Order: sequence, then structure tokens, then C-alpha cells
Amino acid sequence: MATDISQDVTVGEINKYDFITPSHDVFKAQKGLNPEIVAQISEMKQEPAWMRDFRLESLKIFESKPMPKWGGDIGIDFQDIYYYLKPADHQGKTWDDVPQEIKDTFDKLGIPEAEKKYLAGVKAQFESEVVYGSLQEDLGNKGVIFTDTDTAVREHPDLLREYFGKIIPPTDNKFAALNSAVWSGGSFIYVPPGVHIDFPLQAYFRINAEQMGQFERTLIIVDEGASVHYVEGCTAPMYTTESLHSAVVEVIVKKNGRARYTTIQNWANNIYNLVTKRAVAYQDSLMEWIDGNLGSHLTMKYPAVYMMEPGARGEILSIAFSSKGQHQDAGAKVVHCAPHTKSRIISKSISKNGGRSSYRGLCKVEKGATDCKSNVVCDALILDSASRSDTYPYIEVEEQDVQIEHEASVSRIGEEQLFYLMSRGLSEAEASSMIVSGFIEPLIKELPMEYAVEMNRLIELQMEGSVG
Amino acid sequence: MSEFQPVAKVTEVPDPGSLLVEINEQLLVLIHAAGHFYALDDVCTHDGGPLSEGPLDAEEGTIACPRHGAKFDIKTGAALTMPATKPTRSHEVKIEGEQILIRLSED
Amino acid sequence: MIATALPTTGFSQEVFDAFLARREEPAWLTDNRMAAWKQFNKLGMPNNRDEEWMRTDIRLFHFDRFTPFAEFEASPKLPTALLAEGVELAGHCTSLDSRNVSKELSPELAKQGVLFGSLDTLIQEHSSLLRPYMERQLIDPYKDKFSALNAALWSGANLLFVPKGIKVANPFHSFSAMSPGGVDLGKTLVILEQGAEATLLTETASTEPDAGGMHCGSIELIVEKDARLRYVNLQNWGSGVWHFAHQMGHVGANAGLQWTIGALGSRLAKVNQHVALTGQDAEAQVNGVMFTHGKQHLCYNTHQHHKAAFCRSDLLYKAALQDKSRTVWRGMIKVDEAAQRTDAYQRNDNLMLSATARADSIPGLEIEADDVRCTHGSTSGRVDDQQLFYAMTRGYTRQEAVRMIVTGFFQQVFDRITIESVRDALGEAIGRRVRDIEE
Repeated sequence: MATDISQDVTVGEINKYDFITPSHDVFKAQKGLNPEIVAQISEMKQEPAWMRDFRLESLKIFESKPMPKWGGDIGIDFQDIYYYLKPADHQGKTWDDVPQEIKDTFDKLGIPEAEKKYLAGVKAQFESEVVYGSLQEDLGNKGVIFTDTDTAVREHPDLLREYFGKIIPPTDNKFAALNSAVWSGGSFIYVPPGVHIDFPLQAYFRINAEQMGQFERTLIIVDEGASVHYVEGCTAPMYTTESLHSAVVEVIVKKNGRARYTTIQNWANNIYNLVTKRAVAYQDSLMEWIDGNLGSHLTMKYPAVYMMEPGARGEILSIAFSSKGQHQDAGAKVVHCAPHTKSRIISKSISKNGGRSSYRGLCKVEKGATDCKSNVVCDALILDSASRSDTYPYIEVEEQDVQIEHEASVSRIGEEQLFYLMSRGLSEAEASSMIVSGFIEPLIKELPMEYAVEMNRLIELQMEGSVG
Repeated sequence: MSEFQPVAKVTEVPDPGSLLVEINEQLLVLIHAAGHFYALDDVCTHDGGPLSEGPLDAEEGTIACPRHGAKFDIKTGAALTMPATKPTRSHEVKIEGEQILIRLSED
Repeated sequence: MIATALPTTGFSQEVFDAFLARREEPAWLTDNRMAAWKQFNKLGMPNNRDEEWMRTDIRLFHFDRFTPFAEFEASPKLPTALLAEGVELAGHCTSLDSRNVSKELSPELAKQGVLFGSLDTLIQEHSSLLRPYMERQLIDPYKDKFSALNAALWSGANLLFVPKGIKVANPFHSFSAMSPGGVDLGKTLVILEQGAEATLLTETASTEPDAGGMHCGSIELIVEKDARLRYVNLQNWGSGVWHFAHQMGHVGANAGLQWTIGALGSRLAKVNQHVALTGQDAEAQVNGVMFTHGKQHLCYNTHQHHKAAFCRSDLLYKAALQDKSRTVWRGMIKVDEAAQRTDAYQRNDNLMLSATARADSIPGLEIEADDVRCTHGSTSGRVDDQQLFYAMTRGYTRQEAVRMIVTGFFQQVFDRITIESVRDALGEAIGRRVRDIEE
């Protein structure tokens, strides 16, 4: 298949999101990373001493850990980044309460409109802080908490402290340590026992400034028999210098609970997206990660489910699309810590125009986790010879009574398929686009309708110009 | 039940401190903390990391894996923090004069 | 020959100097050995911070606990060669503790220019013929401490050289034995010139089943254009042996390599098995059987490297694990940008026969060409209860039934071996290891 790179004007990033908001920051910390800046962030937020100490300790851990030797090339100068940028002096409870330029930004991104139509609650984060937050009144009355994590530190200290940094301790990896030192914003969700939230809760993360680091910290606690669907989207304008997004997301799903966490990551492709996401699932609960990665320069992200008690289930659907200048090092981890647990991973990746997609995953069965089942399927499409696809699954089995299956394949678009569609009157570009759509169908059909439409549109744009 | 075997002299392990020891073709970490000695398998159950190379917190009674920081109870071997979820083996330690002896647990 | 008193332990400078002094080798080889020796001393021990060694802890292994080239009082009795049983051979050679003991080669083949036997001896007579092959350094002597040590001190090595166009129907057999506590620094070099065909069976074993010792070896298989090599390698060291090996096959255009590994022995094995497809239409089939018990730890890293277009590779590794044993299979299919129309496959199946065993399976794909078909699969599971039940209703005891299922599990690998006598011999050798399996 011939490819004309010059036609590809939308590489890795969709024009709709590529605009810069002229904003008037309320506070911008100095560039660089040191204990003073970390202490300053804590002070700005008027945090309790334990959180300040946690941050300072985490900075030490970050400094002591080597850069990972695997994954992508992380060419970040940690001293050349703004770690904290406060865009507004307070959080809006209505959109009118949000500074006009920032409101305009989220208008362009369609957030207020979506909120009216089909969301149970919204958080909008601009740079380092959540600038807008809402939650349907009846949910609040039922005891649901949906706030930003900074507010939670102040208003729900006991609940937060019980779980914060327990699922992903700062020592876990270098970037979890970095987030723990400089985190700001992110969502805090608590769903009380038996409460089901019918519509999704959404968070939208926007990086606007250049050489910015965004470090949101999200903690979701789904109590016994409760359920929630959380959706996050992320975009940024395109700059020539690199920015860094490094989040930590911790999810706790208690007995009989259900949580679904959907991400549509569409960062501009100057952004390093180095994220740690991990859930612990207790008895007979279900944790689902739906992880779509379209943007960023380099993503390293492997959402994990630890099945802690009998009957827990983990399901992960991962989609990666990488084009010119992009490396998606994405994947999934499932860890069976208890008997009668089940997991499933489906990964689909597409590489085109010199992009590189890697699946990196783990399926582990711990001692004592008898009668476990796990099924992992990874499919990769390579659309041209300038692109690259890697698959690195790790399977570790420490029990006898298990059923573990993994399969993966890498191939090009089948000529027969193309020929068949073209014989029906489609152009080669249309046919390719249709095959790619079919390829990622399993993800699309798991998305709420509005996101599915958006996702399909993004894929179409990504595919534009891929066929000469 | 296996026998107690000498592994080191009391003076070889400062308090607080740890020492990698070899016994019956197995590697253990011998820990000296708050006046007591403990012995664990030198294996983090998360990822196989060597606990003997990780930080010991004598006050808290924990030793952490140098790779991802999972903490283990120095007395029982219990996994106390993520990403470890399973205990590492602990072994009986006794002191006779200057000599530290370890009895391997059943495996 | 210069008589030198050898120090008793370790891989010291004295040992190396005495080793060189005892050998009458061409200068180029001595130079290569000296360079590798320097590297051996420079390189540190691999450690658990290195991704490749993270799963294989060798902190209990110490070079200085071994004595290379130790003299033994009376030659120990060699164990029975399992692979040669019932097989009509074209040639046969044996070594003990890295010293060549005997060799036979059909005079017919010798006349045709086939070389087989001790590389230590043959290198002296055929220096200019062998030098270019040796200096290709299929295995990088600087890769790690073990490759450097083997490059510096290899001895008791085997050579099979088959000249252009010669097709040998009967298999060659080589047997390397080690006495308890011994050291084996063997090397196997196979060269098939253009259009040649041959089958080689190599087998390594200790003189006692529970013997200790160390093996630090290398295997280099050069299969030139249009040539075909079938190679079976049975590793059956004693249960205390440390087994370190680098193994590499080079397959030229339109050539074929079928490589089957049986891994039964050793306390700890760390093997890198690498196949490079370097010319168009080359084909490789790689098979592995791992059968472990006790506290064995077997780690096999396989690499299928597609460097040219239109090549096929197919890997199948099967492991059955008993007791507290552990296997690590880590496989990589690497497809270079030039290797269009690659068809590559890898599969690993693990049969867990005990609740305390552990199997790590790490398949991998790195694909830089687009017109390819690369797939892998991995499964881990226990003996199927339905199969057990069925066999037991037919009057078999549970133990017999499990044994049949294990044999059946490996059968898929045996079936790939086309020479019937070799297939039977390998099946028999592995079948002996199906012990009483406790549920």
C-alpha cells in the first residue's frame, strides 16, 4: 500500500483541539522541581502537614529512582517544566462563574452541552486546578461525593486518607513518585453502598500552557453493591516544546460493586503521557478499564486490576492508535490474588505513518489463587512499513488450577478484504478506513453513544491521508 | 523440622541493619532491628526483588523491596503495602552467645 | 606440551595461562581467546537489576567454587547415551569434563570431506578452512560474562562440517558428559556449506543424576544457502548443575533449520537460543520440551530474528512442571523493516502438575515491516479433569492417566521430528522423566 506522508496534515492530533486560550494565570510556580516548589504547592493549597510531608518524601523517592530502561524514550528535562499553574482563584459551581476565556475553551470542547444532555456530573480541569464542578442534586443527597481531590483533602480527610497512596504508593515507580510530590486536581469519587449512578460522571483535562506539567490525582471508592461509570477526556494545543502529563489513578471496588473507567486520551503530540492507573477489586465485584489512546508523543500506561477476593473480575479494553511522531506504549495488567477470579484483556492497536504501538501487559496468578481464568487477546494492524508494532506480554503463573490463555497477532490490512470492498465501489482510502473501524469495533460499542460518535470521528481523521 | 544453623555473628549485623545470608542453598535476609533479629526469604513476592538491598524501617518494623517499594513485616513476612499482596517466608532466629542461628521454615 | 601445575580452584589468570600453554593452536585463535579472557575479567556478574536476569537469581553461583580442567583419579563411567539408542549413526563422539574422549566417523563421509569430532583437534589441521566461520562470531563473546568465558576457554568442543552439496542421511551423535562437581566449557560448531544436509544429535549429561557442576557452553549453527540441518539437543545434566549457554543459528537463503531442545536437567539453566533468518526464503522450526521437577529453575530465552524477506519461523515450546520447579520462557520475534512477507509464529504451553510450581511465559513481537503475519499464543493450565476421568473409566489408575496425558502433551513436539528412530529415542528419554505424579 502506498503512503504519502505529505498529505497527512492531521497527524496524531486533531485540529479541533489545537487552539490556545489566552489566559491570565492567578499563580504560576517557578519552573523546575525542588523541595521549595513542592512545599509552595502544598502551602498554596493550605494543606495539612501530613500531605506536605507526603509530598516532600515522594520527591525524595522520585529523585532516588532511575528512569525506566524499557518502554519509550523519555526525553524530558524535569527542570524545564512548570509544575503548578493556578488558572482561576476559585472553582465555579456554574459555568458563568468560570473565567470567560476558560469557559470559552470548554464551550469549544463541547463540555457544558454534553453535561446538559447526558452526564450526572462534571469536573473540568484547566492546567493544575479544577475550575468547574457539578453533580446532580439527587446524587449528592444520596451521599455520592464527586469533587476534586484538593477539596477532598479538606472536606473528607478521613475517607481520603484511608485510601490515598495505598493502592499506588509513591515508591511504586518514578512517575507515581513525581505525581505524589506535585499532584494537583483530579477527581475524588465516593459512591455509598447500593447506590447506582445511571449516567456517567465526566472529567475533562485540558493543558493550555507551554512546558506545562499536569499531575492530576484521582481516587474512586465504590462501596459495597454500588456502581459508577467515570469518563475522562484530555486534550491540549500543539506546541513545539514538550509538556508532561503524569497522573495517578486509584480505584477501590468493594464487594459486589462495579466500576467502569473510560479514557479517551487525545493529547497533542508534544505531550509525554506517563500515567499509573490501578484498581483493587474485592469479592464478586467488577472493575473495567476502557482505555483509548489516540494522542500524545509518548504514552506509557498500563491500567491494572488486582483481584483481591474470591469472585472478583477484571476486564480491560485497550485501543492504541499511533501515527507519525507517536509511540503508544499501552497495555494492561491483571493480577489474580484470590481464588475464583476472572479476567479478560482485549487490546487493539494500529500503527501508521511511522508511528509505533506497543502492547505491554501482565497476567499474574499469585499463590493460592486457584480456579482462575484469564483470557488475553492482542491484535495489531500495521498500515505501512515505516511503522512499528511490538507486543510484550508477561504471564506469570504460580498455581496449578488455572486456565490462562494469551494470543496476539500482528498483520497488515488483508488484501482480500481491501479488494472485496474496492470491488464494491469504495476507494482504497475508504476501504482502509472501514476496515480499521471494524477492527476497533469492540471498543466503540462499549462507549456511550456520544463518545462512540466522537471516537469514530477521531479515527476517521486519524486515517485521513493514510492511503495515497 | 530442620535444625538451627549458624549464619553469622551478632557483631556482623548492626542495629538497625540487614545482611544477606546463605543457608541450605537459599538466600535469606537477616534483620537486626530494635534489639531483635529476624529472618525472611530474600524475595519480594511481587516481583522477586532482593529485600536485602531495600530500606529497613526499624521503628515501623518493615523492610521494603528496592524495586517497587512493597513493604513486609520483618517479624511475620506479611505483605503490608501494594504492589505485594502475598507474604514472604519468615524463619525462626535464635542467639547463642555471639552466634546467630536460623531454622528454615517448611516451604 | 608444557607441564604446568594447575591451581586447584577458580578461573584464575594462572589457569588461563596454563590452558593456553597446553594447547597448540593457531595464533589467531589464541588472540581471540586472550581478548575474550580480558573481557571475562572486565565484565561484572549479571545481576537482578538487569531485565534479562531479573527472573533468574544466580547470587548462589560462584565461579571460584569450580575447578576447570581438574584431573580425576579414575575415569568415571559414562552414562548411557539416550538419543543414540536404536539410531544408525554417521558418526559419534564423546567428551568428558571438556576433554574429547573418542570419535568415530564413517570413512565414506571422511573421504567426501566431511569433518566431525573434536574441534580442539580439527582446528589445528583445518585452521584456514574454519577460521572465517569461527570469526563470524555468531555468538558475541562480549555479550556477557558467560559468553566471554566460553570464548576464552572453550574445550572438548564438537565440530560438524559438511561440504557443499553433500547430503548425509544418518544422524551424527555427540555426547558430552560431566563428572560430579565438574566443569564443562563445551562448544558445538556446525557448518553446512551450500546445499548440504545433515542431522546432528547432541546430548549432555552428568555421570550421576544428582551431580553438581557447571556448564558454560556455546552452540553455533551455520546453515548456508540451500542447506538443511536437523538438530536435536538434549540437556540432561545432574540436578545440581549450573547451566549457562548461548546458542545461535544462522540460516541462509532458501535454507532450513529444524532445532529441537529437550531441557530436563540442571538445577538452574539460563539459555539464550537465537535463530537468525538471513537470506530470502529461509525457514526455521524451533521446538522445545521442558520437563522439570524438584526445585529446578529453567530459563530459556528464544529469539527469532527475521532479517530477510519471505522467511518463515515457527516456534513451539512446551513445559510440564512438577514439584516446586519453575520455568521461564521468554521469546521474541523480531522482524526487520526489510523482512517483508514474514510468516512467524511462536507458541508456549505450560502444563502445571503441581500447585507449588511456577511458569513464566513472556512471548514478544517487535515488528518493523508491514506486510507480515506474526502471531503468538501462550497457555497455562492443569491436567484436564475430563481427560483424566475418561482414562480412569477405562481402567487406568490416576497416575497412569496423568502420565499418559503428560506424554500426549509433549507428543506435538515429538511429532515434528521426521526421523522415526530419533523421534522414538527422544520420546523415550523424556518419558523416563515422567515420574510418579502426585495430585
